[in-house]
Amino acid sequence: MIYDDYDMEEISLKAQEIFYIGGMGITNSLFLTLLVSLVLMTTAVISYKRVKLSPGFFQSGVEMGFEWLLDLMSGMLGGVKKAEQYFPLVATIFIFIMISNLSGILPGVGSFVIENGGNEVSLLRAPAADLNFTVAFALISVIFTNIIGMMAVGALPHISKFINFSNPIKFFIGILELVSEFAKILSLSFRLFGNVFAGEVLLTIVAFLAPYVIPLPFMGLEIFVGMIQAFVFAMLTLVSIALHTALHGEEH
Amino acid sequence: MEGNVFEQLGLNWKLFLSQAVNFFILLIVLRFFVYKPLLAIIKKRNERIQEGLQKAETADLRLKEVDEIAKNHLKKADQESIEIIKNTQQKAKELAESLQNKAEAYHKELLDQAKLEYQKQQEQAQQLVFLQALELVKKTIVKTVQLDPKHIDDAMVKKAITYIKDEI
Repeated sequence: MIYDDYDMEEISLKAQEIFYIGGMGITNSLFLTLLVSLVLMTTAVISYKRVKLSPGFFQSGVEMGFEWLLDLMSGMLGGVKKAEQYFPLVATIFIFIMISNLSGILPGVGSFVIENGGNEVSLLRAPAADLNFTVAFALISVIFTNIIGMMAVGALPHISKFINFSNPIKFFIGILELVSEFAKILSLSFRLFGNVFAGEVLLTIVAFLAPYVIPLPFMGLEIFVGMIQAFVFAMLTLVSIALHTALHGEEH
Repeated sequence: MEGNVFEQLGLNWKLFLSQAVNFFILLIVLRFFVYKPLLAIIKKRNERIQEGLQKAETADLRLKEVDEIAKNHLKKADQESIEIIKNTQQKAKELAESLQNKAEAYHKELLDQAKLEYQKQQEQAQQLVFLQALELVKKTIVKTVQLDPKHIDDAMVKKAITYIKDEI
């Protein structure tokens, strides 16, 4: 069923369930996340066999992006080897969040509705407009950066950044560091969620008020915001990696 | 609002876990199918570019060396050619001198021969003139004195001849 009347779509803070698999409700946000993943994985598998030393147009573009990110990471981490080591995590976060955010602006997202339990719900919803997605990414970012830190400087030196009884000042700083790690989860997840959800709300309201032409600049803005937010998330993860992998004394 | 905050925000551990699992699967797939081959290709290409640049640099150096060698060879060839020209000129001069000397010697020899021949011919001519004069005198005396030549006094003839000879 296509949403075709002029009533404004109900804005829901949480993602709505659209169907169930084994008793687990699949939300419209998770459904689009899975679709985006599927597209990315299919593209990856198809392009795997087509990778050449003399690249074509698509490969050149991807390589240019990769080299740009790799250069950026090398500058922040202080070496190409280190950058190559952490590249997959940062690049995947960036690409996945960016494509997910851009997928939220695609035609059909939000406008295709289905009936579920007597309610009309959107079939697709921007992945980052669901806190499960953003919290999952924030947690992955924070947990991974801490694991990376432990692997780089050793478990005990890394933990001593948070729990240090050598003197009261270090103990207090450790507590602050610990709090900042939890704050990071909240700030990462709510920043992304807030931006994308606000964008969705804005687009819904603008589309309701003036369905033609007027929403276009807002869509451009949302494309920009989606890309910037993906970049911010990836960069914050990268900064966190740089801080956690730096030896004591190198940090400041 | 009803329920707790998590429920109101739609937080659900199953959904959360699904998102995390989905991310890890994507990370593994992209790592294997995209990052690994592409980074390897970029690395390989950079190595090739570096290698190419190094080769170009070596070739440039080698070209300079070859240029230097060629210049030296040209310089040497120039010097050698100047030396050869000098030697040739010297040899030509010597040859010309030798030829001139030979010619002069030959000329002298010819002149000497000519002189000798001239003297010989002069002597022969004198002899001939003498004999002709003798005959002429004989005839003159015969005609003058109308005497029989058989009776001409040889002494008188000789005296006449000697006189003529001296006169000549």
